[in-house]
Amino acid sequence: MLNYKFHWNQALKALPDMLHGALVTLQIALIAMIVGILCAIVLTSFRRSGNKALSGIAATWVEIARNTPALFQIYMVHFGLGAFGIHLSPYLSLLVGIAFNNAGYLAENFRGALKAIPETQTRAARSLGMTSNQAFRLIVVPQMLRIAYPTITNQLVWSILMTSLGITVGMQTDLAGIAQKLNAISFRTFEFFALAAVIFYVMTKLVTFLAWLISRRMFRY
Amino acid sequence: MKLSYLAAGLAAATLASSAAYADKLDDIISSGTLRCAVVLDFPPMGSRDENNNPIGFDVDYCNDLAAALGVKAEIVETPFPERIPALMSGRVDVGVASTSDTLERAKTIGLSIPYYAFENSVTANEKSGITNWEGMKGKTVGATAGTYEAIWLEGKVKEWGTGEFRPYQTQADVFLALSQGQLDATVSTTEVANANVKSGKFAGIKIVDKAPMVPDYVALFTNRDEYGLLNYLNLFVNQQVRTGRYAELYKKWVGEGEPANLTIPGVYR
Repeated sequence: MLNYKFHWNQALKALPDMLHGALVTLQIALIAMIVGILCAIVLTSFRRSGNKALSGIAATWVEIARNTPALFQIYMVHFGLGAFGIHLSPYLSLLVGIAFNNAGYLAENFRGALKAIPETQTRAARSLGMTSNQAFRLIVVPQMLRIAYPTITNQLVWSILMTSLGITVGMQTDLAGIAQKLNAISFRTFEFFALAAVIFYVMTKLVTFLAWLISRRMFRY
Repeated sequence: MKLSYLAAGLAAATLASSAAYADKLDDIISSGTLRCAVVLDFPPMGSRDENNNPIGFDVDYCNDLAAALGVKAEIVETPFPERIPALMSGRVDVGVASTSDTLERAKTIGLSIPYYAFENSVTANEKSGITNWEGMKGKTVGATAGTYEAIWLEGKVKEWGTGEFRPYQTQADVFLALSQGQLDATVSTTEVANANVKSGKFAGIKIVDKAPMVPDYVALFTNRDEYGLLNYLNLFVNQQVRTGRYAELYKKWVGEGEPANLTIPGVYR
């Protein structure tokens, strides 16, 4: 008993705006991914450093990122830091929130990947005269990233979907923000949200496909 | 044998046709419950008391409507952006949710005659140095996503070509951001601004000016094709004013003073 006639032409008129929003979404997800990977590598090295304080920081980060809702993390970046006078724009709040979440998840994935790399790799590198740092950076990390590649791809897809949480901190230039704004003006909720959902779907499928293509090129022996 | 088929057929036809003719007004009356979409973070129109019970102008208005229909009122809390999905998905019968009667929205839902009119005020963070609405130019401003004033304010920011507009999901988030200094100013209905400034929950904010907007006329809403119910709603709004109940509710929730005039001289409806 859905008492609703669809006005698809109205939604299609908004398609260019939505596609533009999709680009912003993709941009945030990619930057947050790069930042997330870098942070995760740092967290991973913190954990294996043996220093109690450093591994404590890493453990806390991972625990919070993995065991609280992403929505809460983004909200805390905006309003939590805001309470201390640190004001991040909606764009930055969303970016930092997602990067924080990414880093937490990826650090755990990296830890698992590290376990799969034989200790002999480090020893071989050291015997060639590399310092412990060089061995980690040049020998271990590249192998770790290769093993963790599928989970990195998953996390990227998750990042794209997480951008939709930006509406809680006033974000309105990304795909979800634009869909929400159009909905507020005309109340054609179903059309706009359905269109946004299709764009999200296509976007994540494309990203997964691209990641697969890249992996075929990168991981050839 | 044949006769009983005929009788059965007739009975079925009668049932089918009576089902087809029952409209939403009948449904509400026969179900014994009126489900109203009400926004509960929008004091004094809708909020919760210390026991978490819904209170406010819109809550009372829904109760009055239910009483007139002779049914029980059920308040369904809906944030602003979810009012229409709640109606379309059949979770509520009527919206008593301070909904502006824009022409764009009337393409989707059926709106009654206005039951309330808001004037809008500019509330600023004291540190922003904003003293009137023109001072908002070039600043970071925000409002509750999807509201009449948000649409107006965003249009202004575009027109000015400088500054930034940020929509938040709830009125509470807007005032939180304003009090933290993430926003320099907001436009909200005067009623809401007063209630929030007085609440003392948001430090460092004050009302600085009226916003130069056409008053925000808000209407009850239901499905676009429910003429029976829409007729009933129109008459109900009329009766609320006529019997003095509108003035009474205004005094109870908004305060002393004249409730806004709901008619516009020179035009019908």
